[in-house]
Amino acid sequence: MSSETASAKNTPSQRQNPLKIWLHQQRHAIQFSLERLWFNPISTWITLATIAIALSLPTSLYLLVHNLQTLTDSKSEIPTITIFLKPNISEQEAKDQAELIADFPEVKHARVMSSNEAMVDFQNRMGSDDIIRSLGKVNPFPNMIIVTPDLTVLGGTEEGMSDFIARIRASKNVESVANDTSWIMRLHAIFKIVNRILLIVFALLGLTVLLVIGNTIRLDIENRKEEIRVTRLIGATNTYIRRPFLYNGLWLGFFGGVLSLLILHLALHFLKEPVAELALRYNTNFSLVGISPVLSLEILVVSAILGLIGAWIAVGRYLRQREVSE
Amino acid sequence: MIEFKGVSKRYSTGQLALYNVNLSLAAGEMIFITGHSGSGKSTLLKLVALLERPSKGEVIVGGRPLNKLSQRNIPHYRRRIGFIFQDPHLLHDRTVFDNVAMPLLLSGLAQADIRRRVQAALDKVGLANKEKNYPLMLSAGEKQRVGIARAMVNRPTIILADEPTGNLDPELAQDIMYTFEQFNELGATVLIASHDHALVERMRKRTIVLQKVNP
Ligand SMILES: Nc1ncnc2c1ncn2[C@@H]1O[C@H](COP(=O)(O)OP(=O)(O)O)[C@@H](O)[C@H]1O
Ligand SMILES: [Mg+2]
Repeated sequence: MSSETASAKNTPSQRQNPLKIWLHQQRHAIQFSLERLWFNPISTWITLATIAIALSLPTSLYLLVHNLQTLTDSKSEIPTITIFLKPNISEQEAKDQAELIADFPEVKHARVMSSNEAMVDFQNRMGSDDIIRSLGKVNPFPNMIIVTPDLTVLGGTEEGMSDFIARIRASKNVESVANDTSWIMRLHAIFKIVNRILLIVFALLGLTVLLVIGNTIRLDIENRKEEIRVTRLIGATNTYIRRPFLYNGLWLGFFGGVLSLLILHLALHFLKEPVAELALRYNTNFSLVGISPVLSLEILVVSAILGLIGAWIAVGRYLRQREVSE
Repeated sequence: MIEFKGVSKRYSTGQLALYNVNLSLAAGEMIFITGHSGSGKSTLLKLVALLERPSKGEVIVGGRPLNKLSQRNIPHYRRRIGFIFQDPHLLHDRTVFDNVAMPLLLSGLAQADIRRRVQAALDKVGLANKEKNYPLMLSAGEKQRVGIARAMVNRPTIILADEPTGNLDPELAQDIMYTFEQFNELGATVLIASHDHALVERMRKRTIVLQKVNP
């Protein structure tokens, strides 16, 4: 007999460095859990597809909302309030008043549009001299102040906005106020609701991912009861038994996330052309907002963590139930 | 090393398996436990491995009363023991090699060390050429030997063997007994339950005979 198998004294685990032991154990668990996924392709793919679909739904909804938001937030669509000053107010007086208004906390900025500028702008827009000629030499426009309100300060509510407009209307030199803000305020209110809905959908589908992975792991445990029993008989700790299952959950979550990103990219690619065509017709340079690297990373991290938690719950439940016996 | 003090074991079914057992085993000793079927041999071994708890009395191993061992430390304690089960409890979805490697994975050995040690253990029980086989392709005797290799591969300080030669032909049984003896000479404390009287007598070791208890 070689002394290889039988030296009863100092078992290697007592001699080895604990970090090395731990690393070896992790490596075995990783290798083992990946092998299990690989060798159960059907159950693995079904689980991954379920997770991917569950993750793709809220993410695509999010992308839709996000795209609509960018569309309405784009430069040309910033809501403004136009203040028409009384006809006797000079350009200089208008400038002084604009400075005062710009100091309001609710105001992002305010600028003067003089009656001349307004006329030029009007001419450019109409693209024809006919109407202007018919107006003769008279410029019908008063001096105006264009105010861009700060929606975050106004709290994004319609009451806040109308209060603010009422205050402006009441100030001196103001003839009338035109605002095209109410529709954008409504849109913001809708987005607020949609964002809440999105949150709920995310939570529900996140829960789905958790349950799907938890259930997959639970079935896996059922199939491997004998293995767990035997490893316990030869001295496995709960930590050791749990480890490959946790990795298993982690992989399912992570690869499910990868698959969902793949699905989303394909879907975006599919939409790119018709959207570009539509944008062309509307003469905007709008293009789809895709999945940013940060969002991709978030999806992967969240799904991996969900997998880990699902596995943890499944194994924890099992381990708590049992004591060791032969 | 191993001490039984007034140990009785009654199973939850009401079956009394051991009654007032007193036994003392020095470190590095090798003893046999014999007795008729149902006399409590397996139960006695399980008490040492903490697979069962005594109903009365105390089992002390290495100076430590086992009932004082915390739940957390039981796995670590069990790793110092090589238990050869009557039914070897092999995992059918992995090869002979992977079955034998299990205790080493638990101990977190490096791949190269595992390979070396598993091959040496399989060599020892005469199964060097079967490492890639699955347990279902093996005879009962070969399975038993895989179980023995798995119990020995981590160099345990205590070896408990429950009818280790039950499925082996006499020649092989004798070989396996010598293997135990070699382990014992290297310092392991060995406890073997067997009802093969001829074999036990040939080994010339201390032998304890259990009487069947009549409740
Ligand atoms: N898990 C158990 N539950 C109930 N009774 C048991 C259990 N294990 C063994 N016994 C009983 O205890 C007695 C001793 O059994 P055992 O220790 O297996 O004896 P041996 O190994 O000498 O054949 C037998 O009567 C057996 O039926
Ligand atoms: Mg028995």
